[in-house]
Amino acid sequence: MLDFPTRRRPFTLLMVVVLFQVFLLAFQIKRERDVRLIRLWAAEILTPLQRAGTWTISTVRGGWRNYIDLRHTHAENERLRAELERLELRNRQLESRSAEADRLAVLLNFRDSHTEAPMLAAQVIGASADSVSRTIFINRGEHDRIRRNMAVVTPEGVVGKIVEVFPNSAQVLLINDKDSGVGALLPDTRTHGVVKGTGDPSLRLDYIVPDEKIRSGEMVVTSGDDRIYPKDFPVGTITEIKQANPFQMIAIKPSARLDRLEEVLVLLSQQEISVKHAPEAPAPGSPPETASPSGEAQPPSQQ
Amino acid sequence: MSTRAQAEQHIEVHKFYGGATVGVAFLALVVQAFLNKYGSWLGMLELPLLITIYFALSRRNPATGLALGASIGLLQDAVSHLPIGLYGIAKTLVGYVASSLGGRVDTEHPISRFFIVIVFYHFHEAVLTLLNRVLLARPATYFSWKLLVASAVNALIAVLIFPALDHLRKPS
Repeated sequence: MLDFPTRRRPFTLLMVVVLFQVFLLAFQIKRERDVRLIRLWAAEILTPLQRAGTWTISTVRGGWRNYIDLRHTHAENERLRAELERLELRNRQLESRSAEADRLAVLLNFRDSHTEAPMLAAQVIGASADSVSRTIFINRGEHDRIRRNMAVVTPEGVVGKIVEVFPNSAQVLLINDKDSGVGALLPDTRTHGVVKGTGDPSLRLDYIVPDEKIRSGEMVVTSGDDRIYPKDFPVGTITEIKQANPFQMIAIKPSARLDRLEEVLVLLSQQEISVKHAPEAPAPGSPPETASPSGEAQPPSQQ
Repeated sequence: MSTRAQAEQHIEVHKFYGGATVGVAFLALVVQAFLNKYGSWLGMLELPLLITIYFALSRRNPATGLALGASIGLLQDAVSHLPIGLYGIAKTLVGYVASSLGGRVDTEHPISRFFIVIVFYHFHEAVLTLLNRVLLARPATYFSWKLLVASAVNALIAVLIFPALDHLRKPS
């Protein structure tokens, strides 16, 4: 398929292919235009595989955990061991379902306690295929009323914003991506700044002058200035402060667990969200609270 | 027949079963996306690059190598937030150089594979850094300890997965 009849002039071909891509880069940078068609095709090709992969991994992981957990169980005799394994297997399945139900219950409780802000639950189905950008794909797209620049959160804090929308999926730029920026403020002093991604797990808070008294452990929340994220929503906690000119160098640990995202909430409008503590998840076995009448906070489906 | 054509006849070119190259390339992209999703340290693996290097070295046809590198790189760009062309150019060059090199050095021995991958990993990162600085005017540092570790880890992984990929070759 990839055998080209141009064996005689590969260097010319190399020049043509590289120049084409240089012009493609220049087109995107100079005109600030995105080549959406290519991204759409790529997403249409790869996201179904990622969906299938996510489902397979969660299934295999569940089975593998059961296998590993049970593998070293000592047995007194074959009949008892078989019975024990069967019960353990059943128990693990129930625990796994319970943990998933707890996570979804937290999302539902969060949604129910913020009925003023329409939001949609989504499942994380994949991430970018490079080691530089920090993006994820979710299983909600245009058909679910997802639009660009919508905020993505978890009950713990801000996750990122929608940067690309496809028919059945969307790409989220995480707040720890180098291109990310979140309008932020320090609740105690109402000092405004901008939280930027570093490409690493931590974030940094910019534009805080040296005169400002900042303390480690202080919470950073959204300011709402960027018109993307709702005001007063947790962004992270200050972990390190270094005095510098003209601005202090402040490191932040994100509130949301950006490296372990499985379900997220997409805010369908930039309504202010009053910060409340999400009610505790119900005990395993008890039914989670129901979704809002609009049904927008349905648990994210696997497919 | 020219001397060059005669020499080319002596270069062993590996053929693969139908769809193997495309299938493995897609698989690498999907798996890479999962690695980036499930763990930050796993993000240092560059499976699409390893696949580009492997098939370019095996096919030993520069046109095929650069086409494969360009396709994988552009797809990688398309599902990232980066401008499209960044990884495309880097992998095009890797594919071209690797396929040109394939007939000149031993690409079958694990030790030579280890060092070839280290060299190409650094070449790939150097091209990315250069493109970031020159074309995109973005600050980008080339050397870091993380890069050194990442190149060694990728080379080790390559030594492990290349023999598995050898099974996709048609018997000569």
